[in-house]
Amino acid sequence: MTDRGTYLYAVTRAPAVTPDVAALDNGTIRLVEHRDLVAVVSGVDLADYGEQGLRTHLEDIRWLERVARGHDAVVAAVAASGPVAPFRLATVFFDDVRMRARLDECYPALLRALERVEGRMEWSVKAVVPQVGEGGDVAADSPPPQLSGADYLARKRDAKQQREAAADRGAALGDTLHQTLSSTVVASRRLPAQDVRLTGHKGTMVLNAAYLVDNEAAQAFTDLVAELRSQNPEAVVEAHGPWPPYSFATLDDP
Amino acid sequence: MTTPAVGSGAEARTGREISLVDLLDRLLGTGVVLAGDITISLSGVDLVEVKLHAIITSVRVDSEAES
Repeated sequence: MTDRGTYLYAVTRAPAVTPDVAALDNGTIRLVEHRDLVAVVSGVDLADYGEQGLRTHLEDIRWLERVARGHDAVVAAVAASGPVAPFRLATVFFDDVRMRARLDECYPALLRALERVEGRMEWSVKAVVPQVGEGGDVAADSPPPQLSGADYLARKRDAKQQREAAADRGAALGDTLHQTLSSTVVASRRLPAQDVRLTGHKGTMVLNAAYLVDNEAAQAFTDLVAELRSQNPEAVVEAHGPWPPYSFATLDDP
Repeated sequence: MTTPAVGSGAEARTGREISLVDLLDRLLGTGVVLAGDITISLSGVDLVEVKLHAIITSVRVDSEAES
């Protein structure tokens, strides 16, 4: 006999359809109605999803990926049939009663979150510019013998200035792209640049942002991204989506 | 890991597929943050930073193992 907890994926508005996707931990997706909200949950083993279990498992990239994908699959299925407020990964309660109590505390904020995202999806836009002076430091380690010391230092200083100027241009481009895009959408949020060790992108990520876009405006939004890309051939500008409104279904205003 | 990207011209390649990095950006960094019974002591920025550190470490270990 193991202790089971309640894993909360998302909240939507009643009436809701039980999503036809696999639940985490071999559980079964259930709908828990609370006033006019519906919590989408499944049972999980607290040995794995309790505090100690989570601490251990979250260090395991394969476990983390499996749970993140499973969570996302449920959220996406809910998003297909109504407004969705996705919860942070691994939001677990001891039982439905305690979850209801918590939902009740946040009820007005949850309603506002659902209103904010209804009929809208999230798009991601990233921009990467090439790194200037790549390999410059390597060359600086071994000055060519034909250069005098002063020439060598001047060259090193120039390279540093070029890198700094390029970094400023990149940052300005990121700001400009974001301003242009955010002026056309309902809401936007800049996220930290992603770690190159995770993405493997070549260059400097000058924009990593999320945009909340009306479903009817999705084509216009991707057209605008394409236009910005052709105006800035030096950068790699990519849009991804549409995704559930992860960055905008927050309990405070984004 | 592949991600759908907007293609050339005005064509947007759209799809459900989210790269793990993008997904974790969102599932750990944003979304509705409502303290569950379990996650109270794990919640907040610490969780994100600690876990991303773990991810970076394991990704690096994996890529070193492959090379």
